[in-house]
Amino acid sequence: MTAVQEEQNPLLDGLRIRRRPDPCILVIFGASGDLTAKKLMPALYSLAYRRLLPEKFGIVGAARSEESDDEFRERMKQAVQEHARDPFSQEVWDELAQGMRYATLDFADARGEDDLRDKLNELDRERGTMGNRVYYFAVPPSAIGTLIEEIAKRRGAEGWVRLIIEKPFGHDLASARALTKEIQEHFREGEVFRIDHYLGKETVQNMLALRFANGIFEPIWNRQFIDHVQITVAESIGIEGRAGYYESAGAIRDIFQNHLLQLVAITAMEPPIDFTADSVRNEKVKVLKALHTPGPKSVVRGQYGPGFVEGEEVRGYREEDGVAPGSTTDTFVAAKLYVDNWRWADTPFYVRMGKRLARRETTIAIQFKRAPHPPFDDGGEGLRPNVLLIHVQPNEGVSLAIGAKVPGQGMTIRTVHMDFLYGGAFREGLPDAYERLILDAMLGDATLFTRSDEIEEQWALVDAIVAPWARDRPSFPNYPAGSWGPTASDELLHRDGRSWRRH
Amino acid sequence: MAASLIQEDWTGEDVSVSQIERELARLRDVTSEEGAQPNLRTSVMTHIAWVPQEWQSQAEETLAGMAERHPSRTLLLVPDPDAEAGLDAQVSIRCFPIGDRAICGEVIELRLRGNRMYAPASIVLPLLISDLPVFCRWRGAPPFGRVEFEQMVDVADRLIVDSGEWRESQYDELAAIFGRTAVSDIAWARTREWRLELARYWPGIREQEIRIRGPRAEATLLRAWLNTRLDRAIHAIDEAPALAVRLGGEELPSPRTPTPSPSDLLSAELDRFGRDPVFEDAVRAAG
Repeated sequence: MTAVQEEQNPLLDGLRIRRRPDPCILVIFGASGDLTAKKLMPALYSLAYRRLLPEKFGIVGAARSEESDDEFRERMKQAVQEHARDPFSQEVWDELAQGMRYATLDFADARGEDDLRDKLNELDRERGTMGNRVYYFAVPPSAIGTLIEEIAKRRGAEGWVRLIIEKPFGHDLASARALTKEIQEHFREGEVFRIDHYLGKETVQNMLALRFANGIFEPIWNRQFIDHVQITVAESIGIEGRAGYYESAGAIRDIFQNHLLQLVAITAMEPPIDFTADSVRNEKVKVLKALHTPGPKSVVRGQYGPGFVEGEEVRGYREEDGVAPGSTTDTFVAAKLYVDNWRWADTPFYVRMGKRLARRETTIAIQFKRAPHPPFDDGGEGLRPNVLLIHVQPNEGVSLAIGAKVPGQGMTIRTVHMDFLYGGAFREGLPDAYERLILDAMLGDATLFTRSDEIEEQWALVDAIVAPWARDRPSFPNYPAGSWGPTASDELLHRDGRSWRRH
Repeated sequence: MAASLIQEDWTGEDVSVSQIERELARLRDVTSEEGAQPNLRTSVMTHIAWVPQEWQSQAEETLAGMAERHPSRTLLLVPDPDAEAGLDAQVSIRCFPIGDRAICGEVIELRLRGNRMYAPASIVLPLLISDLPVFCRWRGAPPFGRVEFEQMVDVADRLIVDSGEWRESQYDELAAIFGRTAVSDIAWARTREWRLELARYWPGIREQEIRIRGPRAEATLLRAWLNTRLDRAIHAIDEAPALAVRLGGEELPSPRTPTPSPSDLLSAELDRFGRDPVFEDAVRAAG
């Protein structure tokens, strides 16, 4: 390189330029599935709409079903029109669709792989994508191994490769380790992006901003000032036709192992020294390692029976299509967790997650200790403890419950909420988590992805929790659809003189 | 863009600042439904717009697209020097739905009659939201050196002008206030895509002949920018309705990005906080 080329371009000084990824092709395995239609393609369209995709870019959908390039484009166009957050622009779509191809791929048949390779080479020539590849595995874990082998075999001499792997990553510690080993035979950890879409949510990232950009929270973010933490990941929907997956996963593998433990880690982690991928993930993994395995009395599992959700009568889990009539799969889990470290010793983290609960809500509630001696006439009877509530979804934002004087005579105290609604201060429209994560993977930034050691710690905890379940015959169903779960979940907190937040 | 959910107004003639504050509090109260959760007043700044009457309709159009993007207290100052001294106000609360709540912003239009326009700071200061940045958009040509302008420069954390609205060049005067407040020029913002485009031609552009046509303000700033960044003389501009650049005798393709609306341009400036040394160099060179 000459000295002239090395000289910095003075015309770029002061221009705030969003980093744009290198030219590349995104290959989606499992392109006929719901995730591609409802999340991935709308996210790619929104990135294209904002001109955040590489200038030279292509998409190859790959799945078992037979489909032509044009049929694939048409199906994806409908998906974008139905699910994208941005208005449909024919111009943006045409540009994106020009670089779209489809490859029919039977994972057991090498011919399909050849077809895929041909389409990739064709796109490289036409679009100038330079052999760079992002492979998105929207397929079950059992299909990943074969694909990894094929990709490794056909890995070209040119260009970089990044693998985005959807959850679940394995179904227990042993299978996750086996999968990691299989991947690491061919790819470096830096090339693997294990996706947990919760980490792409603005409000989850805002938790890091809230904790580490504000001097007022961190000094009191510990056992001395916090009584306990409650994390709720509640869904009002059922299993939505996913009985095949859900029967073997249950709530513990579907939500607890990944989303919920990541929320615990982000809530409890120490400040990272910087916001690079390894610094953040090092701190999260320390929390996961410090999680004390809860005993059977500290875990409640449940399964929904028939009930009413938003006024509509719904079936119980065992009546769902594809579910065994005597299924003992958990659709609800609550647990009391402890993070055994200096900051959090003896501070319980009560967590619960489930399907067919009263409403869709993901929240992290930090409940502070009560004021030691309220000097008011009524002893502050109307006063509840301060709670910092982080709404992850819906209505993203933060509320702080504080005591305030009721206007008038005397000194009556009531709890009031100070609210910060995320959308209220920043009206840009929150990007979908997949937009952020796909773009980050293209840029090679793994900060919001899960590292193999995190996954292993998460599975180790889940394995320890579910081990005694194999011997149990739980009395399911034990909560009606549309409620807040089994009564044992309430008792879990009542035993400690606490209760779940009122909704 | 969602339509406002609730809008409540109050109008008063010959009012005091404390009367305006009282009415604001009352309007906040009436925009909340009885028994429901109160609406949220969310602000990320105080946004002042100095709007001489001839600019009023354009300013209101721009602000209409702004309220949702930058929840704020907006103070619209309309000077009316020929009228009898006094202060008239129109106060409105505009609420927008977010989930099951509503977010409310406040717009206070103040008609500064007679000598009131020469003491705007004394009217504005009690109405600023504490601890939040103050942005002042000055419509038209700023009267550099005059008391009303000088006062607002000292109040604002950022002054936003559009040199495309000036009849004659005042870049020297603009450069003179750089040390007092951060400054943005929307005409400069309109050149952004062209600056990005031209940056792609580095390093060849250092030696090539450059000819710029376009609206006077944008073309002048683009030329001054190239002049300072490349440290070389650039041909004088030719005035034209749209920016265009010839490089080494070749007409460059226009950047392929949609033209941002006035609201978009102002909105982008309201997201900036610090000074922009590249812009300041260009303005000094344009003067």
